[in-house]
Amino acid sequence: MTAQEARLCGLLLREHFGEVVEKIGTHLLRSGAQNLRTIVNESGTPIDLVKKSLCVLMKHGACRFSIGRKGPGSPVEYQASCERILGILRYPRYIYTAKTLYSDTGELIIEELLQRGHMTMSSIVKMVADRLTHNMEEGRSIEYNEVVSTFSKLVETHFLQRCPPVSEVVTGPPTPESFSDCYLVPSVSLAGRGKRRRSGEDVVLDQGTTKKAKTDLQTHGDEGIYWQVNFERFHLHFRDQTIISAVASKLDQTSSEIVRTMLRMSEVTTTPSASCTQALSANEVFRSLPANYSISRPILDQYLTLLVDDPMEFVGKTGDSGGGMYVVNLHKALTNLARATLESVVQEKFGSRSARIFRLLLRKRHLEQKQVEDFAMIPAKEAKDMLYTLMSENLVLLQELPKTPDHAPSRTFYLYTVNQLATARMLLQHCYKAVANLIDRRLFQTKESKRLLEKSQRIEAIMASLQASGAEPEQLTEVEEMISAPEKQQLESLRHHINKLDSAENQVDETIFLLKSYVASTARITR
Amino acid sequence: MKTRVLEEGQLDLLRNSSGLLYRMKDAQSASKMKGSDNQEKLVYQIIEDAGNKGIWTRDMRFKSNLPLTEVNKILKNLESKKLIKAVKSVAASKKKVYMLYNVQPDRSVTGGAWYSDQDFESEFVEVLNQQCFKFLQSKAEVARDSKQSPMIQRNSSFATSHEVWKYICELGISKVDLSMEDIETILNTLIYDGKVEMTIIAAKEGTVGSVDGQMKLFRGVNPIIQPTGLVKTPCGLCPVFDECHEGGEISPSRCIYMTEWLNF
Repeated sequence: MTAQEARLCGLLLREHFGEVVEKIGTHLLRSGAQNLRTIVNESGTPIDLVKKSLCVLMKHGACRFSIGRKGPGSPVEYQASCERILGILRYPRYIYTAKTLYSDTGELIIEELLQRGHMTMSSIVKMVADRLTHNMEEGRSIEYNEVVSTFSKLVETHFLQRCPPVSEVVTGPPTPESFSDCYLVPSVSLAGRGKRRRSGEDVVLDQGTTKKAKTDLQTHGDEGIYWQVNFERFHLHFRDQTIISAVASKLDQTSSEIVRTMLRMSEVTTTPSASCTQALSANEVFRSLPANYSISRPILDQYLTLLVDDPMEFVGKTGDSGGGMYVVNLHKALTNLARATLESVVQEKFGSRSARIFRLLLRKRHLEQKQVEDFAMIPAKEAKDMLYTLMSENLVLLQELPKTPDHAPSRTFYLYTVNQLATARMLLQHCYKAVANLIDRRLFQTKESKRLLEKSQRIEAIMASLQASGAEPEQLTEVEEMISAPEKQQLESLRHHINKLDSAENQVDETIFLLKSYVASTARITR
Repeated sequence: MKTRVLEEGQLDLLRNSSGLLYRMKDAQSASKMKGSDNQEKLVYQIIEDAGNKGIWTRDMRFKSNLPLTEVNKILKNLESKKLIKAVKSVAASKKKVYMLYNVQPDRSVTGGAWYSDQDFESEFVEVLNQQCFKFLQSKAEVARDSKQSPMIQRNSSFATSHEVWKYICELGISKVDLSMEDIETILNTLIYDGKVEMTIIAAKEGTVGSVDGQMKLFRGVNPIIQPTGLVKTPCGLCPVFDECHEGGEISPSRCIYMTEWLNF
């Protein structure tokens, strides 16, 4: 866990959970596993606040507990998980994916779960139904069953999983997958429709609400079964999406559909940490192609051969049975994507000629100064300048090969080289710093315009109450004019800036995801 | 008698494994050296032996065992008689190599087709680069639009290095004659630009453009990803990224690049 990651985690915790949780969280991140007393003493916060912060962190999976190091009798130790906290950055992407796959219902389910960490199925269903009903027109509402069916679909495709039960004896939390009923939807008796929340009817329904509160307390048969979002599954989905879009831009739409089919078929059979999917025969692929892509069998074979022959090596052939056994090379695809990312960064930052030198060094591994100039066809002076700039940014390294034991400079080979893995790690840290900078800037801009924002909020509240109580148009316009035109413009530009910073954070997060997957995949391969 | 003929400069004295050999100098070269003394003859001999690569003054000194001042005087003398010439080397701009007047300097000295008067012709290389890329790209597009089976599409989007060479020659943008290897170095730079990929196939000896039974095929490709997210933010391109800290002189709150980018 590096300084940049700690800074980013602090910012994210502060935004989502407040300053107390941020303090405890960053303290835990910096000092590793600690028991409750030590946390209280070192951070200087009262014990009940520490307990509450730890509860919040644990509910969201950012902190876990384990037996103390000194043995079974010692107090429980708590450890914060940096990766999980950094995952907060990716929440918008998860919600958007759920929306594309399962429309609004799915989107709201995931959003509610992400906000609350762990929830029972019945409470999720009720909350989502209420929210959906609230957004619909008058007189329509959502049946609970519809929400339940979307929920079951999400569980079937492993996007949601049960939280593992915590045993009485503190042995440490088991992983969710080790629990056999991980993806089992409980049979719940949930009948009813979503209720629309009306602000004006609160007074009238006072007696009614007490009765309603009693009925809401009824148990639905799934107490104690909590659900959480399965982040690993979402990450696999993102990885597949990136590979498919890379194939689409390199080759064509049909090839990307074939790769999509292959990845879909191996979703459940391949372990998340495999370097390539299970072997699929061409016959199976042919049968599973989507109905609107009716290509004939020989054409499919041709496409598969082209995919195998492509220098990017997305797909590989492992055998000839069943019309040819094909695998998707996940690790190679990630390596190529990471390399393309590095090249794109060099190109945008230093120009296309430096990018040419960078790509040249990636291909040829080690080159002398003269060879770089010759291959890249760049005049000597400029090539030297570019190489030294790249070296000062640590993108290019110098390898010395002495000819004589005394390492005399005139008798040593100096070779330029690029180390892809180290460069990827370095860029990952840059990404973390960039996101932290963007968040800092956003908070700064909000703080600068705090007075203006408060004023506009007050005006909106006045307007809303006036409208609800049925005011005349003159009163409304009078209230509106309390904000002057330049202030309105300032507010508009502030909104525009904040949106831009937000979307930039999401874009950098895409780079973070790609680089992190590549680093993790390489670490698994070399272990 | 032998010595007199030698002195008059009509015979060359050579040594081989079995003893001394005498060779008659033809009249023309004999007249050239008339009036020059032995040292000059020695120097001339050495330069002749160096062929088209030429010889540097320091090597000259080693080979002839003459002091520097002598060598320089002789070289100046020979140059004024238009028997030798000095050619500037492209590798080290201060170095001069000497060769016979009517000898064409070797490629390693002048740098070949890409150098004109010791200057690397960057614009020429750039123009060739773009022309080759356009040719390959249009070929790939034609292949893609033909809507045939994918195998045929891909094979027809390939161009051999020979085809590209013919196209460039016909374009006539080059004043110098370019060989197929020259075109291949240009195509290699396109590979390093990430715009083109290459495969090698086995070809029958004798088919046009094949070298040692192989042919190189090139085709234009699309990039596999869009410019990555990091470079869409000012931080990704910032030249002072490493000096930026919250609360410092350069910080995210006061970053002028961010202000410009937000107001865009």
